[in-house]
Amino acid sequence: MQKFWIRILFIVAILILWEVSVILDGRLEKFPHPVGVWEALFRIGNERTLWVAVTQSLTRVLIAFVIAFILGVVFGIVLGSFTILDRALSPIIDALRSIAPIAWIPMAVMWLGITGKAAIFIVAYAAVFPIILNTYHAVRMIDRSLIHAARTLGASKLLLVYDVMFKSALPNILVGARISMGFAWASIIAAELAMGIKIEFGSKQDFGLGQLMVNTLFIERDINALVLYMLTIGVVGFGIDYFMRVVRRLSSPWALL
Amino acid sequence: MNATNVKLEVKSVSKSFVSPRLGKQVEALRDISFEVKPHEFVSIVGPSGCGKSTLLSIVAGLETPTKGQVIFDNKVVKEPGREIGMMFQDYALFPWHTVRGNVEFGPVACGLNKNEQAEISARLIELVGLRDFENSYPHELSGGMKQRCALARMLANDPKVWLMDEPLAAVDLQTRIILQEELLRLWGDYESLDQRRPVLFVTHGIEEAVFLSDRVLVLGHRPGQIKEQVKVNIPRPRSNQRNTKVMLEQVKYIWDLLRTEAEEALLEKAP
Repeated sequence: MQKFWIRILFIVAILILWEVSVILDGRLEKFPHPVGVWEALFRIGNERTLWVAVTQSLTRVLIAFVIAFILGVVFGIVLGSFTILDRALSPIIDALRSIAPIAWIPMAVMWLGITGKAAIFIVAYAAVFPIILNTYHAVRMIDRSLIHAARTLGASKLLLVYDVMFKSALPNILVGARISMGFAWASIIAAELAMGIKIEFGSKQDFGLGQLMVNTLFIERDINALVLYMLTIGVVGFGIDYFMRVVRRLSSPWALL
Repeated sequence: MNATNVKLEVKSVSKSFVSPRLGKQVEALRDISFEVKPHEFVSIVGPSGCGKSTLLSIVAGLETPTKGQVIFDNKVVKEPGREIGMMFQDYALFPWHTVRGNVEFGPVACGLNKNEQAEISARLIELVGLRDFENSYPHELSGGMKQRCALARMLANDPKVWLMDEPLAAVDLQTRIILQEELLRLWGDYESLDQRRPVLFVTHGIEEAVFLSDRVLVLGHRPGQIKEQVKVNIPRPRSNQRNTKVMLEQVKYIWDLLRTEAEEALLEKAP
């Protein structure tokens, strides 16, 4: 209990020090300060803008993740099961994996325009590799004796694939899914930042958190709001990771790490 | 359980494979022939690396022999199936299923309905003494309980022959003795002959082999081939026959057959 209070005290001390030094410095338009961020929370939290942006970013991440998950699991199973395809395709996948997702932004913009679709492409690209790799290793690590046991018990091909291979691989696939969700959330922000300014078609708002930040930086010049958005990114990222851990725990309780 | 008059014949089975470590052809089994008669309990003993487990996998239809064939119930064994039950050395329980789910795997695979599945699993879980653990997962069970669960899972399909690959190798000595006696009881040690299923039991425990079996096949190694078949002359039921003079003599006889082989196997590098 004492430790807890010491931590709190320390954080409060740092916040006060931060606040006081920014106020004394006087350049409030350039440096954010705790009270300003606090005010921004109430000002912006009451508008729809932030929530629309968070929803939009999350929606893009979710769409991209589903695409990446399906592609990743299929590729992972195929590469893990067929040595020939593994030898042929693995170097290509390793090469692609070495290209940072944001390096694809120019291409994505050229093909898909400055739209949400381009952001989805970048995010799916970032998210697919951890799923491929983890599925691949999960398939390779399947205990042969479980497959043998299932076959001696009269399992059909379908039951074998679903109830033995997929369930064997699931815990590791979900480790990949968790890592890839982390990548996805990081790269949606990067992609939206790079796409720049928020776009509005009439009443339809089409912008994510990253675009909102670009807007805030160049147009509104609201430095405290930027910090608020950064905190939002952190909280949402933590929430996503927590959610993925719960999913793994509930779906494969036999394989707790 | 009504046992049928099925027998298992292994005819001139040889098996060679390319060793991944040596990169050359290794002969694992050479010209192995024997049969397991209806109602008979046969054990295979041999030094480590003699191909006992490979032989059992071939009998189960999980591996194909390079030469020869396995005939079960007058049919050539080509693939595994529910008629040939098998227990594995490392239990091979499905970790995502409870005890009950594991036992019901076979009935589900064979398309029985929910009531039949539940009836079979309830009866077998009771039989192997796991009633209080039917909703536990394998990782929550002790070695002995896992083995009982694996036995119940195999029995759930009512297989016509039982193949057992060192099923008791991973449990401690006391548990092993208890499980040996339970295994015999379930097999029909106290019942009349026609209640018993043919069993092919692989072990490296000579005492275990003698205690359980009607006949012991002694395998030599590199390549694995049958050195001798030893008939066990101990009356059934066996529970109070442990360590009798006759049993110890037969154990010693088999040990003398195997000693040199086992010593060689100990010093030899694995393939």
